[in-house]
Amino acid sequence: MIVLDPNGEKLNLMPLNVGPSHPATHGCLRFLAAMDGETIVASVEEIGYLHRGFEKMVERGTWQQVVPYTDRLNYCSAIMNNIAYCRTVEKMFGVDIPERCKVLRVIVNELSRINDHFVCVAAAFQDLGGTTPFMYAFNPREEIMCIWEKLTGARLTNSFARIGGLYRDSYDGFEKDVLAALDSTEKALKDLHACLDRNRIFLDRTVGIGKISAEKAISYGWTGPCLRASGVASDLRKDEPYYDYETYDWEVVVGTQGDCNDRLQVRLAEIEESVKIVRQALKRLAPGPVDIVDPRIRVPAHKLAYQDMEGLIGRFKSVYEGIRVPEGEFYCGTECANGELGFTIVSDGSGHPYRIKVRPPCLTQFAAFHELVEGGMLADSMAVLSGLNIIAGELDR
Amino acid sequence: MKTVEDIFSALEERFGAKREMLDKWGMTVIVSANYLHNAAQFLKCESDIKFEMLVDIAGIDYLTYPNHEGPRFAVSYSFKSMSNAGARFRLKVLVSEDNLSVPTISDLYANANWYEREVWDQFGIKFAGHPDLRRLLNHVEFVGHPLRKDYPAQKRQWLSTNDYLLPELEQRLEVLGYKVIKRSKEVETNDNEFLEGSIKA
Repeated sequence: MIVLDPNGEKLNLMPLNVGPSHPATHGCLRFLAAMDGETIVASVEEIGYLHRGFEKMVERGTWQQVVPYTDRLNYCSAIMNNIAYCRTVEKMFGVDIPERCKVLRVIVNELSRINDHFVCVAAAFQDLGGTTPFMYAFNPREEIMCIWEKLTGARLTNSFARIGGLYRDSYDGFEKDVLAALDSTEKALKDLHACLDRNRIFLDRTVGIGKISAEKAISYGWTGPCLRASGVASDLRKDEPYYDYETYDWEVVVGTQGDCNDRLQVRLAEIEESVKIVRQALKRLAPGPVDIVDPRIRVPAHKLAYQDMEGLIGRFKSVYEGIRVPEGEFYCGTECANGELGFTIVSDGSGHPYRIKVRPPCLTQFAAFHELVEGGMLADSMAVLSGLNIIAGELDR
Repeated sequence: MKTVEDIFSALEERFGAKREMLDKWGMTVIVSANYLHNAAQFLKCESDIKFEMLVDIAGIDYLTYPNHEGPRFAVSYSFKSMSNAGARFRLKVLVSEDNLSVPTISDLYANANWYEREVWDQFGIKFAGHPDLRRLLNHVEFVGHPLRKDYPAQKRQWLSTNDYLLPELEQRLEVLGYKVIKRSKEVETNDNEFLEGSIKA
């Protein structure tokens, strides 16, 4: 297409379609760019290629049956989504979960965050043509995946949290495995920093690329590491503390430039903070129950169901009719790996959710994508995309 | 120290807002659609606790809600304060079936643009003054609004082609100050040509 630029100069632009199935688009994303040579002049995005109707599907099941669906939101850190959902419903019930459950949730939360950030940094580097850091990052990730296998029985879609507790308590030797995974995480961090920090090619590709100011990021509703990279110290674990996050000794990591490099470095630094939190949490992990004792919320244990009539009734009721969440409407956001994962829940007091609206952190970040890539080169758009860590599962729901 | 209760009283005084009693855990306030833009502006710029971030917009269809009285739809806006960390506020607008229209707030909050497109897509609620009200998650050829309670979940639709996007790209160029003098020839294809090679043809 032929256009006049703002100075009145004639340009011949080429519309170029990128995606939806492209090795660098991590899932299915598509954007159409107007190219002047190799420079992107304008860009529009299209999403929805992975839209599975999460919000329609959950209306047909019971409240507990939503948990496996939440796995499929951000599948790089599935347990975090389970916990975010369960926390929202538990708040509606007004119940407090046992201490051991809180600490276990903190541990699996932070391990998931480490996993998610490693995937993001590794994939970002892979997209820029470096395969070595990918291997460095995936070694500790694999160890955490093995912990997931032992703990939950699944590697990717774990469905570990339950409303009012956890699927089950940790296994024997859990602490030892976690400590070993933390050690290799720290080793991998050293290796990654050695690869990234003074790597001329990496810095040329990421420093000053895809910059966004703090005001603009807030106006676009950015949250999580991407917002913090722009210099806003906003973290729900500090601002609206839950699971005693405020009592752990850790810092909110903040960037300065808001560019692609900062977004990746903030993630690496957050892994360090997560390691600190997990180490402290392991010390607090005292024996005790992980589920609340209330058959109206959490199904009674198998043992009870086989020996006790009340337990059997409780199991039947909560499986067939589902638990009954108090009538009302509520929004609650939880700090997940990518930012604030929020659930707007409308309950009519029955055993099925009336409406659950997910607020995915990726959506707001991808909504600003055109602002980040316009004026840059086409190759830079790939660096920007992987730095944002767009997960199509939660973007499209 | 001001609290969200004070903000609610200010909204009540200025815009006749009512407290939503269904939200027993946080602060939700119902405003009429006419005052929505003003109320959002007030929350963003003037109130004692400034709510700089729009967190979410959710549509709700009350068709099968037990004992529900009043308009069928509602749109709920969640706000979060950055300067006063931890403060949250929700605005709710009730939308009746005969007037499915709510003013846009995409001029105040940049992310409202996509959120409003999503509500339009899923519920068919129009946002007056929205710069580019297209479907967001569902396909361009999709008919109906799937999150309405009367849309059957198992219904299937035949979708044949991808979204065009070229007119939107031209629109974006115009926003950036460019002037299109000769359009891409793909923009003006007729339907037959467009569908050739797709499954339908």
